[in-house]
Amino acid sequence: MPSLRELQIHVMDALLGAELAPVAELIASPRAGAERRFGVYASTVQGNFRDALQSTYPAVRRLVGEDYFRQTAREFQRRHPSQSGDLLHCGQGFPNFLAQLHPDDGFTYLADVARLEWLIQESLLAAEHAPLNLASLARVPPAAYDGLHFELHPTLRLFESRYPALAIWEVNVGSDAEPPTIDLRSGGDLVAIARHRLQLQFHRLSAGEHCFLGAFARGECFSAAVDCGVEGDAAFDASAALQRFVAAEAVVAFTSTVKT
Amino acid sequence: MPANAGIGLRAPHHLHVLSESPDVSWFEAHSENYFAEGGSHVECLSRIRARYPLSLHGVGLSLGSTDPLNREHLANLKRVIARFEPTLVSEHLSWSSAGGRFANDLLPLPYTEEALRHVGSRIAQVQDALGRQILLENVSSYLQFSASTMSEWEFVAGAAAESGCGILLDLNNVYVAAHNHQFDSREYLEGIPPHIVQEFHLAGFSRIDLDGHALLVDTHGTPVCDAVWDLYRAALRRFGNVPTLIEWDTDLPDFDVLQAEARKADSLRGALHALAA
Repeated sequence: MPSLRELQIHVMDALLGAELAPVAELIASPRAGAERRFGVYASTVQGNFRDALQSTYPAVRRLVGEDYFRQTAREFQRRHPSQSGDLLHCGQGFPNFLAQLHPDDGFTYLADVARLEWLIQESLLAAEHAPLNLASLARVPPAAYDGLHFELHPTLRLFESRYPALAIWEVNVGSDAEPPTIDLRSGGDLVAIARHRLQLQFHRLSAGEHCFLGAFARGECFSAAVDCGVEGDAAFDASAALQRFVAAEAVVAFTSTVKT
Repeated sequence: MPANAGIGLRAPHHLHVLSESPDVSWFEAHSENYFAEGGSHVECLSRIRARYPLSLHGVGLSLGSTDPLNREHLANLKRVIARFEPTLVSEHLSWSSAGGRFANDLLPLPYTEEALRHVGSRIAQVQDALGRQILLENVSSYLQFSASTMSEWEFVAGAAAESGCGILLDLNNVYVAAHNHQFDSREYLEGIPPHIVQEFHLAGFSRIDLDGHALLVDTHGTPVCDAVWDLYRAALRRFGNVPTLIEWDTDLPDFDVLQAEARKADSLRGALHALAA
């Protein structure tokens, strides 16, 4: 008799490979029905994974169609099985998987739409945060500004693509109507995704703003973030940008490394 | 937990429950569905919890797995328990992971002494980590392992005895397993000590054809069948007034269908007590 450990490893191998033969000896149920009985589990294992992937990636699912999505989900699960009891995480590697499937074949935008959908899911599930305390920011002496570390809203995610991925996403979720055609060469995206209360929001960014928020996301101080902003866009206006993102509640807190 | 039947809470019903405040005694939610730090699901459950008693029911802890206990999952579970303050917390007597890979399905264990000792110590670990007793639910199953040396009910009762956990007896699962493996569901009930059962589940199943015989599959997508209502009567006689939950997961109907099932459970229990009085 195999140990419990051996039994579980063999059964898991068989389920992910959807093949009963290697574990047939372990199963006591009547041989004739064993295939169907095992099949109930194998199809649930695939179905639950595919459903989770589909709810994270509705636009990708619509773009590629039911059959291709099913086949791709199956292959993705075979190579990257779920590593958690919570299926919300199972699709994390899917954008990279799509990028490897379509390195340069006219479908390279799919991986970018998938990356956008993953960030949207992260944003939808992240913690709430109160808006920035303007009164306490007003008490900071101007000389201390450079050393401030601004914190982004926990739901904020920065997205960048050389394709109009957000527009592609927008026309492929929600309505069942045939989506309009989008020219893949109509320009790329620089976007901040955030959830405001319970509503998803997309802030289109200039190159400077994208670099500026990126610096905050990396934990850099205000002066370094301003440098990044200017590097991204020579006309970058740091004080206008900070005002915009505080008002939008994209920037929600600050800490000072300088003792005042 | 109130004696009247509760209803399994599913996300498509969140807004209905919040806007209509339906007459429901209590709700049970799947723990993992509220693991997120924020967002609409946790916001809805917080507001629903403010109005109704709650039970949290886990589907992903993989208690019976021989992999190390997933500490991150356990920490998340602890966090949702602190956040929503459920009256009852339950998990499944099953496994779903091996070698770091998850099936995300409730797989049956071989009913052996080795598996019993293993799962008993895992439940004890979880109870220690959570600082509370958990209830353990019997699962539906479609196949049995040749390694098994005891009946499923001996295994269920044994796991509770080893760990000190309570039992969530899913009567639909008892019925499905009894049919699929050809044992007597009444004998199953007789094999479970009365004092350890703290919750019942009722749900519906579907059938697939297996060489001229039906294999019952626990889809939770149909009304509770008459035979399971009969088993519920037998369970009420043996285990007494245990909180009962109506579960429905696939082909989710309008909320009032679930309320009608809950009322049916209540009236059945009422009739039985009137008879006994």
